[in-house]
Amino acid sequence: MSEFDVIVVGAGPAGASAAIRLASNKVNVLLVDRADPPGSKNVSGGVLWGDSLGQVIPDWEKSNMLERYVEAKGVTFLTKDSKISIDFRSKKFGEYKSGYTVLRTKFDAWLAKKAKDAGAMVASGVTVDKIAMKDGKAIGVEQAGETITSDAVILAEGANSRIAYDSGLKKKPTDEKIALGVKEVIKLPEKTITERFNLTSPKMGFASEYVLGFLDGGVKAGGFLYTNKESISIGAVISMGDLRKNNQTYSFNVIEQFKDHPFIAPLIQDGRVEEYSAHLVPEGGMSVDSVYGNGYMIAGDTAGFTFSNGLVLQGMNYAIVSGIVAADSFMEKKGKGSDMNFANYGENLAKTFVMKDMKNFSGIDRVTWSETIHNTIPAIAEDAMLNIFSEDGNPKKHLSQIVLSSALKHKDKRKDLAVDLYRMIRRL
Amino acid sequence: MIEMALEIIVMIKQVPDSSEVVIDPVTFTLNRGAARNVINPADENAVEQALRIKDKNPDTHITVITMGPPFAESALLDCMARGVDRGILVTDRAFAGADTYPTGLTLAATITKIGKFDIIFAGEESTDSSTGHVGPGVAEFLGIEQASYTSNSWVEDGKVYAERQLEDGVETVRMEPPCLITVLTNSNIPRNATLRMKIDAMKRGIETWTLNDIGLKPEWVGLKGSPTIVKSMKSIQEKKREGKKFTPDQMDDFVNELVSKGILKLGGE
Amino acid sequence: MMKIEDRLSLLNYKIDKSYAHITVNPSICETCPDHFCTFACPAKCYTLIDEKLNFKYEDCVECGTCDTACSHGSVAWTNTKGGHGVKYKFG
Repeated sequence: MSEFDVIVVGAGPAGASAAIRLASNKVNVLLVDRADPPGSKNVSGGVLWGDSLGQVIPDWEKSNMLERYVEAKGVTFLTKDSKISIDFRSKKFGEYKSGYTVLRTKFDAWLAKKAKDAGAMVASGVTVDKIAMKDGKAIGVEQAGETITSDAVILAEGANSRIAYDSGLKKKPTDEKIALGVKEVIKLPEKTITERFNLTSPKMGFASEYVLGFLDGGVKAGGFLYTNKESISIGAVISMGDLRKNNQTYSFNVIEQFKDHPFIAPLIQDGRVEEYSAHLVPEGGMSVDSVYGNGYMIAGDTAGFTFSNGLVLQGMNYAIVSGIVAADSFMEKKGKGSDMNFANYGENLAKTFVMKDMKNFSGIDRVTWSETIHNTIPAIAEDAMLNIFSEDGNPKKHLSQIVLSSALKHKDKRKDLAVDLYRMIRRL
Repeated sequence: MIEMALEIIVMIKQVPDSSEVVIDPVTFTLNRGAARNVINPADENAVEQALRIKDKNPDTHITVITMGPPFAESALLDCMARGVDRGILVTDRAFAGADTYPTGLTLAATITKIGKFDIIFAGEESTDSSTGHVGPGVAEFLGIEQASYTSNSWVEDGKVYAERQLEDGVETVRMEPPCLITVLTNSNIPRNATLRMKIDAMKRGIETWTLNDIGLKPEWVGLKGSPTIVKSMKSIQEKKREGKKFTPDQMDDFVNELVSKGILKLGGE
Repeated sequence: MMKIEDRLSLLNYKIDKSYAHITVNPSICETCPDHFCTFACPAKCYTLIDEKLNFKYEDCVECGTCDTACSHGSVAWTNTKGGHGVKYKFG
């Protein structure tokens, strides 16, 4: 007889959603987090897309843990001197769900509280060492030399997956499988944010992804800027491989280069930096050979469930869905005297957008981190825009001529461009 | 002579995390609102000291008590998860606004209600008020011996020994139980809770006592029972100081500057 | 450009005085050709002082970057214990 039906390791969106789902269904669940209070080591860019959380917290949108609803979404290429962006705003973001900006320390503590209220036991400030295995089956967790037993373990410890590495469930990431996210939270008055980003109300927010095509030494990084109620989350997601190749740019200065860009600096002007943080971001899709085994399931960032195509950066929604599916997969098995080999988790997950996205967009990281996206396209676009929007006394050229002549100036990159554009179109 | 099965009581307090209490750059007032609550650091050391005595005398029974709002439960559970046997939260609306006098009285009444004890431990002072009153106050209310500013303590042949850190050295005192010891911040490294003990603590839970349980009158506690009245508070504007930088090769200029300002006098006369 | 030291000073840590959750092997670092850790670590825990690698765990934000960054097997990375380490306010 195990002490718990399920032990969930990690109180992020994946783990907490699993615990809420289980506890709400009278499952005896322990949620463990190594931070105290739970969630206080968690960081993310900060937009929770979609409405997956509604499956476990029906009235979640009424929570004051949400910062702003994204009514304006941007995608921007930055070169040294120019900014080329799409600024998409739509009244249809009422019916089409976009997302909410969140600050994870507050948000995750709230999720853990919801798990506790639903009946889960929540232990924070204690670090699980390993998954306890016996005859190839997970039988609980090991902590300080003791084993706490459970029928199943849901591992949702995040991108820096020590327990998975130490339990032999995941290989340590290579440069391609991980990027480094560096972030700052910058305090600004609520009114200033609403005005500066042309938002329709203080409840509404702006979220934008950036391609930073101007960094010193050609380091590749994507940027993000999200508006919270009274602060801005700004950050850079840096390619580990390029940082290594460069080997003279400090990761912590990349975000400062982004902040100092002539078209970014005015957005954060007069703001006070309140917090600096850094966190790994899984890249390139699923990062474990199998998301399940005998007695355990792996959810969220630990499994590599994040998605980035340069237009959006997602992870929390995948985490929530995978956590819920893991919980449901346990309940399918519970009390039926069946084995605890969670192949059903793999099957159930395959039916969700999480695995479909992972499959459909596999290899997208080759495009998002390509020379084409980071340098060629921004350079061609900058040339073309300067041609279109300037007046030099000569007659106007056709748009196609302009783009073609801009592309010809960067002809050394043309072959890559063609390959990457093909990859992009195929996957988008 | 006391048995080696000791009864120890530790008094703790939950405080706003001092590294999160920020000074508002505009009003220069302390903003505690943003800070999360933690166990007062010196109290963590007091709990650890009690646990170390229990390590040597395994029959020891430790009770941790706090006067505070209901959410102080988490602080008690945290202590229990490190090895404390029992947690009592004394909570009542009547306690609100208490200064150190009724706080000491409330805790002393709680201890009287608990009954038998050999040693009471408390942190030297709390980070949110820094008076250092409560520990010694409780000893006075109970009429027992006390040792303050201690960095270490132990039990030997039924006597309680404590090392007091004084300005000019360390004083080792010997006391007859029952007695009270206040423990300095950073005097030891508190142990971590284990998952096994966290689970156990949450299963056992804490006890909650109110004013009625400890037999005090409402007018003796809280704001009504507090002799301290804060008349006004103001923040001090820091004096502007001038600075000047010298590099090592400008040592002569540096010395001349100090002499010209009358800060340094050259000898020889 | 805001100095990294100033940014780190904004953070709240509960420092574990009895346990360093990351250790490095000085004999490996001594012969390291790249010292990529000094560029990769976002908390500047790895610095070169007189060409010798200096590591401090106290400022670590527990991202795990150095474990991937070091390709020479010098970094031994474990989780902080007992709720110690970085404690974000916003995250």
